[in-house]
Amino acid sequence: MINIKNVLNKNFFSPFVFLILLNSCSSMNVTEESVYDGGIQTVEASVKDNTSLNYETKAILANATVYFEFDSFKLSSKSIQTLRSAVTAMKENSSIKITISGHADERGTREYNLALGQRRAESVRDYLAVNGVSKSRVLVKSYGEERLIAEGSDESSHSKNRRAEIN
Amino acid sequence: MKIFFSLLFFTQLIFSELVLEITQGSEDPYSIALIEFSGSKKITNEINSIINTDLLRTGEFKIFRESQLLSIPTNEEDIKFEDFKLLGIDFIITGSLTNEDKFNISASYQVFNVQKEKKIRTSKIFGIPNKLRQLAHYISDGIYEEITGLKGVASTKLLYVTENINDDKIIFNLVVADSDGSNEQILLKSSEPIISPSWSPDSKKVAYVSFETGMAKVFIQTIATGKREMVLENSSQISSPSWSPNGKFLSLTLYQDGNAEIYILNLKNQNLTRLTNHYAIDTESSWSPNGSKIMFTSGRSGSPQLYEINLRKFSSKPKRITFEGNYNAKGSYLSSGEGIVFVHRSENNFQIALKYTNESFIRPLTNSKLDESPSISPNGNVIIYAITENGMSMLSGVTLSGAKFRLPARTGEVREPSWSGFLR
Repeated sequence: MINIKNVLNKNFFSPFVFLILLNSCSSMNVTEESVYDGGIQTVEASVKDNTSLNYETKAILANATVYFEFDSFKLSSKSIQTLRSAVTAMKENSSIKITISGHADERGTREYNLALGQRRAESVRDYLAVNGVSKSRVLVKSYGEERLIAEGSDESSHSKNRRAEIN
Repeated sequence: MKIFFSLLFFTQLIFSELVLEITQGSEDPYSIALIEFSGSKKITNEINSIINTDLLRTGEFKIFRESQLLSIPTNEEDIKFEDFKLLGIDFIITGSLTNEDKFNISASYQVFNVQKEKKIRTSKIFGIPNKLRQLAHYISDGIYEEITGLKGVASTKLLYVTENINDDKIIFNLVVADSDGSNEQILLKSSEPIISPSWSPDSKKVAYVSFETGMAKVFIQTIATGKREMVLENSSQISSPSWSPNGKFLSLTLYQDGNAEIYILNLKNQNLTRLTNHYAIDTESSWSPNGSKIMFTSGRSGSPQLYEINLRKFSSKPKRITFEGNYNAKGSYLSSGEGIVFVHRSENNFQIALKYTNESFIRPLTNSKLDESPSISPNGNVIIYAITENGMSMLSGVTLSGAKFRLPARTGEVREPSWSGFLR
């Protein structure tokens, strides 16, 4: 059942309110309004099932996670060492394609961390490219602080989260 | 067995709502007497309770209920103003349920100025039975406006993300709730993260980042219909959506240039205009109230700081606007344009800070360790943000008048609040 007043008051200004205010001769504030509370529809996201690598490559690349300093996307010499085996694996199996995902620890803002995770993943891709692995074989994306691997608020947990992984 | 399970499910729904906890009030509140509304007790009790909480939450009122008064008026002519002056009360609120049937419910309320011994407002609100809370919120806002001269936000909505674990599976929900955390309704359910929710200027749509396709993508969803569209479907990663005040543009962060850059998308013709061009991270764009400037976070000085671009002088270099500390991010403008609110790192703590344009220093507003994603109410008076305490995240708020309140989740985590515009 739709009340005429409801319909009128759906817009920000209602002719009713103006009329009443104009006609009021005392210094008292007189108002009338209708509650508008629109409905809400719930939707479910359709999550894509990501294709995973085959067994062998998973094993080879699984240990190629590299770590970073706070607010940095520079590869340390330790990271470079870790990535050497990944380079070899990619060169030996020239058909495999990989995804590098970048991550950040929970401190700071989510969007900045998303961009930071992306830079970290790109650092790894750039290193692979410089060493002969074509960029076309490497997909890069970021999860920012949305996929924490360590839940604590101490530096030990934070340092485990500042990473780039190869999947 | 079925009944047992549905009961469990029902209680789960109840406990996921937020609970209001007011932790600090303002230094110089108005004293008001809230007389119980006349009418069907079951309904008036709820209305009075909501009005009481709404007004307390603004931090600007000290509320006297009937048990604290010297006399209780039964009608307008009956008010003994002296009894109220003695208690230092500035205003009296009376009201009644004026109509109640299956389809309609309406209430009227009056505000009296005690010093002047005069009625200064009489208002009528028309509503429907299952929108009782919103009716009460409209009354709270009317009272707030009459006494303070500012627009109230009790009838506005909050948008936020919750994270819960159900049967070992993580569920993310994008939720809309009343400004007091009640009446939660789910907009989107997903098993992948949702971040950066933001209201369109007319509060009819929301934009957000969802990881459901395997990477960060921006979606726009119409609240009433649930209709969704992915923004720039053929692009790769996109994030950080922010609506222009006229609703015609969306600023976004794109990653196609080898580093995060800000672009502006014309929602009508899908034209993309690049705004930043620097090898450092540029993200978290937000528009000034008149749409002439965009503020964003950039790492170009070596650490995250806030910068501003004047859209009318397109080619000019972004102007740096934060200089204190080595981490200033996620800025948004106060609706009056008088200043900005942002996340500021002080020693090892991330806090919400305020900086007025005509001052050179930062004013911290909060003081815990991991405060993030501040959002300002449409009347510019209240800032809501996410806080992490004992490993649990929840929403907290501060008013510019010095009041603090908290909306803790009873299960799961709550984050990324975004305040709607005015809905009245």
